[in-house]
Formats: sequence, C-alpha cells, structure tokens
Amino acid sequence: MRRKETPMNDVLRTAKNCRHYAMCKIDFLGSGVCRSGLEKQYVSFYPQGRMDLYAALAEKRIPVTPACVEIADSCDLCGRCDYQCYFVTEMRPTAVMRALKEHIRLHLAGGGEVLAPEKDVILDELRQIVGNDWATNDRAIALTYAHDPCPVAEPRMPGYVVMPGSTAEVAAVVRLLNRHSVPYAVRGNGSSVMGFVMSAGAVIDMGRMKAIAFDEKNWLVWVGAGVAAFDLQREALARGLRVNVAEPAALVCANIMCSGIFSTFSASYGTAADNCIDAEFVAPAGEVFRLGDPAAPNLFGFRREDAPLPGICTSAAIRLHPVTDDESSVFVPFAALDRALAFARELAMRRIGLAVAVLGGEYISTFLSPTRALAAGVKDAFRDKLKIAYLVLVIGDAHALAAVKKMGHPGFDSRLMRILNLGLPSLVSARWLELIGELSDDEPFSYLGLDHFPDLAEAALAPSPAQLVRDVDPELRPFFAALYSRPEMTDPLWLNMFRIVSARMGREKHVVAWIIYLPIDERLVAEIDGEFRRIAERHGLKNDFGFITPLDNGKRCVFEYDYYLDQNDEDEKSRMRQAMGEAGMMIEKFTAATGTVTWIRHVFRQGFSRKESFLYPGAAAGR
Amino acid sequence: MKRGDAPGDGPCLLTGATGFLGGHLMAELLARGRRLVIAGRPAGGESLADRIRRLLGWFGMQRREAQLEFLETDFLKPGLGLGSGEYERLRRRGLAIIHCASDTRFAEKNRAAVMAANVTGLAGILELALRSRARCFHLLSSAYAAGIDHSDCREAPVRSLRFNNPYEESKALAEKAVSATCRAHGLPFTIIRPAIVYGDARTGRSLRFNALYHPVRSLLQLRDIYLADIRENGGKRSAASGIRLEDGGGLRLPIRIFIPREGKINLVSVDYFTAAALAILERPEDGAIYHLTSRRPASMTRLAEFAERFLGLSGVEVVIGAAGAARMRNPAEELFDLFIRPYRPYIADCRDFSRENADRATGGAQPPDFDYAIFRRCMEFAVAADWGKKLF
Repeated sequence: MRRKETPMNDVLRTAKNCRHYAMCKIDFLGSGVCRSGLEKQYVSFYPQGRMDLYAALAEKRIPVTPACVEIADSCDLCGRCDYQCYFVTEMRPTAVMRALKEHIRLHLAGGGEVLAPEKDVILDELRQIVGNDWATNDRAIALTYAHDPCPVAEPRMPGYVVMPGSTAEVAAVVRLLNRHSVPYAVRGNGSSVMGFVMSAGAVIDMGRMKAIAFDEKNWLVWVGAGVAAFDLQREALARGLRVNVAEPAALVCANIMCSGIFSTFSASYGTAADNCIDAEFVAPAGEVFRLGDPAAPNLFGFRREDAPLPGICTSAAIRLHPVTDDESSVFVPFAALDRALAFARELAMRRIGLAVAVLGGEYISTFLSPTRALAAGVKDAFRDKLKIAYLVLVIGDAHALAAVKKMGHPGFDSRLMRILNLGLPSLVSARWLELIGELSDDEPFSYLGLDHFPDLAEAALAPSPAQLVRDVDPELRPFFAALYSRPEMTDPLWLNMFRIVSARMGREKHVVAWIIYLPIDERLVAEIDGEFRRIAERHGLKNDFGFITPLDNGKRCVFEYDYYLDQNDEDEKSRMRQAMGEAGMMIEKFTAATGTVTWIRHVFRQGFSRKESFLYPGAAAGR
Repeated sequence: MKRGDAPGDGPCLLTGATGFLGGHLMAELLARGRRLVIAGRPAGGESLADRIRRLLGWFGMQRREAQLEFLETDFLKPGLGLGSGEYERLRRRGLAIIHCASDTRFAEKNRAAVMAANVTGLAGILELALRSRARCFHLLSSAYAAGIDHSDCREAPVRSLRFNNPYEESKALAEKAVSATCRAHGLPFTIIRPAIVYGDARTGRSLRFNALYHPVRSLLQLRDIYLADIRENGGKRSAASGIRLEDGGGLRLPIRIFIPREGKINLVSVDYFTAAALAILERPEDGAIYHLTSRRPASMTRLAEFAERFLGLSGVEVVIGAAGAARMRNPAEELFDLFIRPYRPYIADCRDFSRENADRATGGAQPPDFDYAIFRRCMEFAVAADWGKKLF
C-alpha cells in the first residue's frame, strides 16, 4: 500500500526537494553566485545548504547553533538563487532563505538556546592544520554534508567538516585522521548524488583548492581539486581551447576519481585516462605522489571489483583540445533507435564529428524547455507530430557537418535549432506540424532538406526570447527573456560544452542514471534498453532512454538510461531500491553473458584507468 | 453469374469495413436489410466491434447493429487467426465475400507492409472462399491498378508492368491472384476499380481526408502560418517571401504547382461509388471488371481555382512543365511541393478509363461533375470535422 504523503507547506517542500546538484555554486547564468557561499565556502553558506538547514530546523532535527545564526544572517536575500534554481528545477529558494532567517529571528527573539558545539581535541588539531575557519564540528554545517537524494544511501552526520587549502594540508589532515582512526570521505561538490561522499567521521571538502594553471605550450591545464567543470571550460574557451568535462558543477578532479569523465565529446576526446596527462595525489597513508612518477601506484590499470580509494586527487593536468572557428552542430532525427545507433556508429567509425550522441525525447524536450509544462508539450510534439523518437547530435567543424549532409541525413542545424528553441511554445500548438508528420515521403524527415524550411519555421514559430519564457514565473520573466537573448543559450555547441541544461533532467524528479559501456550493437542495446524499461515500469517508476555516445571509433559506447523518483516519497524510494537491485542484477547478467558489458559501478574510483581496460574486459581475462 | 449468387440474397462476409469505402458499403448493405459478418482487426486498444459501432454512430445506423456479426481476424495468420472451431463454423456458412481491406499507403518505404496487407493477406481470404465454397468473391481494387504502361485503361486484366507506387502494384497483383484462383476453382468473382473517391457530393460528409483533401489542407495550414505572421508578428517574414494581405482581405500566397501536363484528376463521390458498387453487387457478372470512374475528370488548374476561392487566396498558379532547375521562390511553395509529392501521379494523370461494364451494371449512372459547389461542401465539412479529428 502506498504511504500517504506527509503534508508539507510550500516552503518546506521546496527545501526538501533540493536536488544537491550544486548548480548554485557556479555562475552558469552570469547572474553571480551567492556572496556568502563564495566567502565562507562551506556548502551550508550556499542556497543548497540553507535549503537542507531550513528543512532540518523546521522538522526539529537539529538545534540552533552558532553556525545556524551565521548562515541565516549571511544571506542577503539577493535572489540570485531563484534564477539559478528556477533554471534547473523551476523552484525558487529565496522563499526558503527568507523562512530560514525568520526561523532564526523568532528563535532568538523568543530567547531560544544557541547550542555551541562541544570542545574537541581533534577539531583543534584540524584547525591547526587548515586554520580556524576551515574545520568545524558545528552540526548546522555538518548537516549539509550528511545526505543526498540517493535512495540507497543512509544519511550519515559527519563529526567534522574540513576544507584544506593545499596538498600539504590535505596530507596533514589525512595523517591526523589516520592517527585518530577517524574515517573520512572526500567530497567535491557532491553532485554525483549517489551517496558516495558521506562519512560519520570526517568529510574533506576540496572546494577551496581552485587553482587553474594553463600550460598551453604543452596543451594541458593544471586543475586544483576544487575547480568545477563549468569554470574550467570557461577559462579554456577564453583561450580558444576546450576541455572534456562533464556536469558543470562537478569538480573536475572528483569527477575523474569517481568514474572518469565522459561526455558527448568523448566520441573524439575519449574518456578516463585519455584526458589526464598527470595528477597529484595524497595516498591513504598521507604521502604525496604524482601519477606520472614511475614509482607511483599504477592507477592506469583496472580491476573489475569495488576498488578502494587510491588516494585523494589534489590536482590534475587535463588535456587541452583545439577549437576551430567553423564548429557547429546538427541534430539528425530518427524514428527508431536501431537506425540512430547505426548512424552514430558509422560517424564514429569514419571519425566524423567531435561530439556525437544519440539522444532520447526526454533529453531534448527537458533540456530545451524552461518549464516542465512546456517540456511535456515539446516531447509530445516531437514524438507525435514530428515522429521523432531519437536525435543524433553531431558537433563538428564545417567539413564534418558537410560529411553528415553528404551521407544523406537531413537534420536540424544550429540555426533551425535556435528557431525551434525560441519558438517552442508555438511548436507545441502548431497545426502545420501534423502535415509534416503525415508526410509519407520515402526519404524520412525530407522537409529538413528543403532550402527554405528554416525560413518557414521562423515565420510559423515566431521565435523570440519573450515567447520562449511566456510561461515562466512572471517575476522572473524579464531575467529569463534577457538570458535567452544571449546567443549561447540557444547554441547547441555552447550548451554541450558547458552542459548547463542537463541538470534539468532532475527538474520533475531526482534522476538515478544507469551507465554502462558496451558495443554499439543494435540488438544488445535494444535488449538492455527494454529490460531497463520493463523493470522500471514493473515498479511504477518514471523512466526513459538517456543518451548513447560512441567511444573508441564506434567499437564501444557509453549508454545512459534514467530512472526518476520523488526523493521525499518513501514508497517511491522503496520501489526504486527494488528496481535498482533488479537492474543491477540485469546488468551483471548481460556482463556475464556477453563479456563485453561493463557497469560504471565497477569503474568507480578507477577513473584514471585506461579506457581500453574496461571497454574490452576480455583483455583482462587473459589469453 | 446467376442472380442467386449476389450477396444481397444472404449474409456476406465484408472485410475493410472500418475503412472509407468498406464502411460506406457496409452502411448501404445494412440499409438494404442485409446481414453482414464483419472481419477485421481491433486497433488502438479498440475492439473491432467498438470500431464498427463508432462508424454506425457516424452513419446514424446504430439500430442496425443487430444485422452484424464480428470476427476479429488477422489475414496474415493461418486460418485468418481464428480458432479452428470458429474457422470451421465460418467455412460451413459459404458466405459471399466482399474484400475491401487494403493498405493504401503509396511510399516505397512501406512496400513490404503494403504487399503483405494487399497481396499476402488476400491469400487467406481466398483460401476461405475456396474452402467454404463461397457463393462469390468481390475484390475492391483501384482504377490505378492499371499501371502506367498504357493510357487507355480498359475494364480488363492489367497489362502494365510498371506502376507509380507499391500500392498500385499490389492492387494489380491482387487482381491477378483473384482472377487466377477463382477461374481455376470455378468461383464466381468481380473486380471493382474506383478512381479517387471523395466525400458525399450531396452533403460533403466524408470519413477520410487524404487525396483530394490533402493539398487543400496543406494550403490552409500555410495560409494560417502567414496570416498569423502578418497579424500577430508584423509580417516581415511574409513580406520577404512576397506574401501579403490584399486590399480585399485575402492573402496573396505565391505558390507555383509544377505539373508535367494539364492532365486529369479522376474524382468520384462516395455516394456515387456506393450506389454503383451496390448495383454491381446486386447483378454481378462472373469475371467482370468495373471502372467506377468519371468521364469528365477535373483538372489541377480547376482545383487550384476552387482552393483559392475557398481559402481566400490568390497567387496559386499551376505551371505546365517540369520545375527543373527552377528555384522554389518561397518557403510555402517549397513545402507545398513536398506535401503534394505523394499525390503527383494523380494530379496530372493521363490515363483514360473505359467503363462499358460499369455503365451496363449501373444503368449508365455517372458520378456528378466536380464543381465548386461540391468542392465547397466537402471542404466545409472537412474543416468542421477538423480533417478527421472531430468526426466521432
């Protein structure tokens, strides 16, 4: 029997629905970042932390502490988090920030107690290493490191949160914790949201180590452990270069440590060790080593097992890639997955394109739409009216895109995508699309090959930033209209480099992403895709195909399938746990049966390994 | 064929009753008091009986349901997908068969499906006809099964080896299979070949809105795109394509329709088709082929004029000759050209259809001349029915 949902007021509901994607920690909209967060650095001083803190206080899970008062006071209600959070989830955290301040004000006005943390010897020693401001045992801060929306992770309140500022400090902290037998977890921005970064001992937050040092002569950039993907890409692009990074708020080093970085650009840039030239680590015993040192532990190797943490990556030398001024994008539509896969594989085999990905309907509609209502309509329009079930994204230079055209596949070029994007509300209601969908021409999607189709689409959809945001919250509409007037916000190339719209996957519900490596074999992919779907539907979970990007010239691919859950619905979480168990067993079954399928779970903590070692597991099995 | 072989003297098996022409035949047979066994598929989660009930409602004939029996069948499966007992009971009844079921898609990419439905699926029905010693077999074909090797198309077996599309080809193959099988086993048969069938000329009512309707619907959608651009968004994009509002309020929409020759569009109304087909079914001649076609076909130029008048447009121009390298001058022209591409073989057709057999069977009844009054009635109905969305 489904448990009845606990009634929550709107503010508390917003607070409890924070997805922990850390998007409020990066300036992805150019609207600025929470000032107190930038100054104090602990998650608790960012909107994400305040959301957690307010929920905990409102539900009386923690007492008011000195940090509570400071966190509440330090919020100036600037409203920036509304822009950021609304862009991703359609939520407005400012109401929570206001409620937090009011909660503390009333508590203090009522003579409520402010419970000071206990004196702690280990804390004192930690502070001697990192400074007084960068280690704490205040529960108001610890709380915001204690959980994430992962349905299989139990919350664990850390005794300490430490923010070291250098490799030497990290090493000293590790040695100290070892000496006191305090277990620890290392945290980037926690945006993996898979419960990996919690510990009842200490959490080492790497967020202060934000150094970025370009060495263009050697086509690399040294990246501190606290550098987020978005910030690194921005710096690289400013130099006319590109890095292969993943989710914008993910810290680059943590992302590599976790599972290696893959993106749509992995079609040409590779994954895992392909993009790391060197790295610096603090080993579990506290000594420092460099990946490139012949005497260093071999992190390039791979073992198909749950690997221990090889060390804390404090910085990494990331490969830089050239950018040409004729790069652009095209989305090639397909009615069925097998055709889309075959095309993506052919592109990869022929080494056409920098970024290649087969995208599902959920991806496209959710990514492009500023609201969930519009996303639903767009998904229907693509599927029902345009008969598009999948799109193959190709980013490349003029030669690559000319080759795609020559291969006989008409697509949505960047101009047409911009028209579609800014005209989405009209697209949803367009009657003429029915005729497009009914075209029985032998050449599918032949309308995209018409010389004037973009002109017609422009006349029919009347694309404009104002139109796109017409259903956005009226208070935020002017901001979003201005935002979408910036060309990069509707440029698939830019959006794929910075990936700021992919967090919208979690707009409706939290996403649990299944990621596997396997051959681009239409039948195998269809079987696994079908199994993912059947399992989710058996448990009543929203689910959808995510994306597939070819790897290693089309010999393998990375496949994401997504399950969704309401992170506050205990019944749905329970069903998700069951589904996750079954899906895990299903993947293992395919792994055993084919010898060519690798679950990303087995790559966890082995992200510096050579991709060949997990893409071709037969090699490890020996001759 | 003896008078007693006609379907009107007893119940008969009707396939394709959920389609446009099969549905109209069903309604007329019911109106004449006939009992029918309807064989067909469920679709879209709806049972065959429910699909037929919807149709009966549209025809205002719900009370006639008692004259119907329903058999959910799959013509591609052995025994039509029926259980052995059910098939045996059906076999023993020796019903006359009217086979209207058909896949009418033109595109080459649908060849396999079209051939399966129209040729492979026919084999199961023919087998039933033979095994049940059916009183007669009537195949609903198409005038365009004649193919494109000859422009003089007689009410005779198909001579052509070339066709415009898999649909025409499948119909020719189906005719060949029916005549060969029926002749070999002494089973009386007829083949009825209608031209392009539109709605009821008297009322404008229709169940399908492809063929004649498709170009008009396309023009209407294009008109509405540019009217909205002009009225709501200033019309800059329209102006760039030479599209503008005229003084009288009509829209100047310059669209050239390139056709290789003036040609003909052979249209017959569904009320004519039904009456003529029933006359044939009442007095069938064994082995006869009937052209239900018009002696005075319409032309594209005329239809373009009708469409302009109906939609309040000007600028739609029929150009004789190949488009060749002529660049499409605006997006509307280019998209319209794409929209009508599947129908190109039929908008400038040069085939003439003799109809001696049909005249004899129908007492010389002819389809109405396709004038603007009929056009308007049909299109008004189509618009009111939202091109089929608001039919039921």
